[in-house]
Amino acid sequence: MSEFFNQYFDFTVMGDHFGEVLDGFFKNLLLFAVVAVLALSWGLILALLRQLPGKKLMPLRGVTIAYIDCLRAIPILGVILLISGSLPYLEFVPKDIRIPHFLGQTDPFWYGALALTLVYGAYMAEVYRAGIEAIPRGQIEAARSLGMSHSQAMRNVVVPQAVTKIPAPMLNELISLLKDTTLVGVIALGEALLIGREVQAETFNASAYVLGCAMFLVICLPAARLVDYLIKRNQGKVARGSHIAV
Amino acid sequence: MAEPMLSLQGIHKRYGDLEVLKGVDLDVAKGEVVCILGPSGSGKSTLLRCVNLLEPPEDGEIFLEGKDICKGPGSGTGEQSWNLDFVRQRVGMVFQQFNLFPHKSAMANVTMAPEKVLGRSKSEAREKAKALLERVGLGDKLDQYPERLSGGQQQRVAIARALAMDPHVMLFDEVTSALDPELVKEVLDVLRELADEGMTMLVVTHELGFAREVGDKVVFMDGGVIVEQGPPAEVLDNPQQERTKKFLGLVLER
Repeated sequence: MSEFFNQYFDFTVMGDHFGEVLDGFFKNLLLFAVVAVLALSWGLILALLRQLPGKKLMPLRGVTIAYIDCLRAIPILGVILLISGSLPYLEFVPKDIRIPHFLGQTDPFWYGALALTLVYGAYMAEVYRAGIEAIPRGQIEAARSLGMSHSQAMRNVVVPQAVTKIPAPMLNELISLLKDTTLVGVIALGEALLIGREVQAETFNASAYVLGCAMFLVICLPAARLVDYLIKRNQGKVARGSHIAV
Repeated sequence: MAEPMLSLQGIHKRYGDLEVLKGVDLDVAKGEVVCILGPSGSGKSTLLRCVNLLEPPEDGEIFLEGKDICKGPGSGTGEQSWNLDFVRQRVGMVFQQFNLFPHKSAMANVTMAPEKVLGRSKSEAREKAKALLERVGLGDKLDQYPERLSGGQQQRVAIARALAMDPHVMLFDEVTSALDPELVKEVLDVLRELADEGMTMLVVTHELGFAREVGDKVVFMDGGVIVEQGPPAEVLDNPQQERTKKFLGLVLER
């Protein structure tokens, strides 16, 4: 048993490498922040494209649905590898985008950011969609009957109500996103778990990446509690009838 | 005779195999109040929704102030082929379920469309909204959110909201059916005032008393067609058609 603890919970190893692992974890957090902003925006765009009315826009809706379905069906790791393995060699793409170094970050960081945005945009689109579809049809009809266009009705009436219904599922996706930033370690982004594994290769001891996992725990556990709180609060509102217009 | 404000000619509406409207003709003069009665499923709500193109008809023509607002079938699909802006800015609609925007105060419910659609300034829109809300007896509820208002109050906000767009025609779709009995009168009073001021109105209702008192014309619909129409006294008190008699008998029995 002490063998087990020495292998995974050696506090000396954790202490010696705390700074490196924490630096790596900051990479995870930075990547998370960038992707969260991009994916929340991209997801909303996708969700709105999916809701476009009329027969003429059917092809656009179809393409959007295909995109969302496909990216939800591919392993994220595959998307990361695909982008980092192909984008650098697409010569028609400007060099600053093929090998991006924005904000002083390395190209693996940006390949990861792009891959996670593409995938999480699709996930977020589904969350927005649930929120949008929870708004009664009468709301759009009332807005349209007042002369608003479809996009005015979405912007002023539907989306503002939809986003109040989805903070809990949205936060769940964001928790997953933070954890999935570790996947970018496979293309050599120096994030917490990759650094942990490098330390393991040096010291033959797994404690450093256990430390990395613990850092995720510190952020994600309270966030999971917050999700529960939001769900309960929302149920309370429904029980008090504030969502029911009578 | 002057050109009718609104003229429906041979309106057909289908949902798949179900034909809800089977050729409806109806003329409405300026300032006229037309009350539409009929059993549920007779197509009366659908007819209203055709008039403001929420449900564009498949066949037939609708003239609003002399202008053909739908070019009929074959003229293209999608909303672009209908004169939506022309219609929606001239025709106001009030719904059975109020459909107020729950995330906005009574005031903001009323000012939203004038600001976004007509481009009115905030202060102009607010001033007008205040006057309208006072007119429907809600001058003290300007900043309340819909969830704090009774059904009757919500419905009056919905009427003010529609009036804020300066409609020429108002459509009322069973606006008292979702209300508790004691709240019906406050809404009907607003409709009555509007009628007195000369608003052109199409009112789908089950309130026979209102139809008799306020309606200039009563239309009885059943099975997607107009069975009988005429002045309230004729249709309500001396119906000629069997179906009308049967329906009125059932309603009066209540």
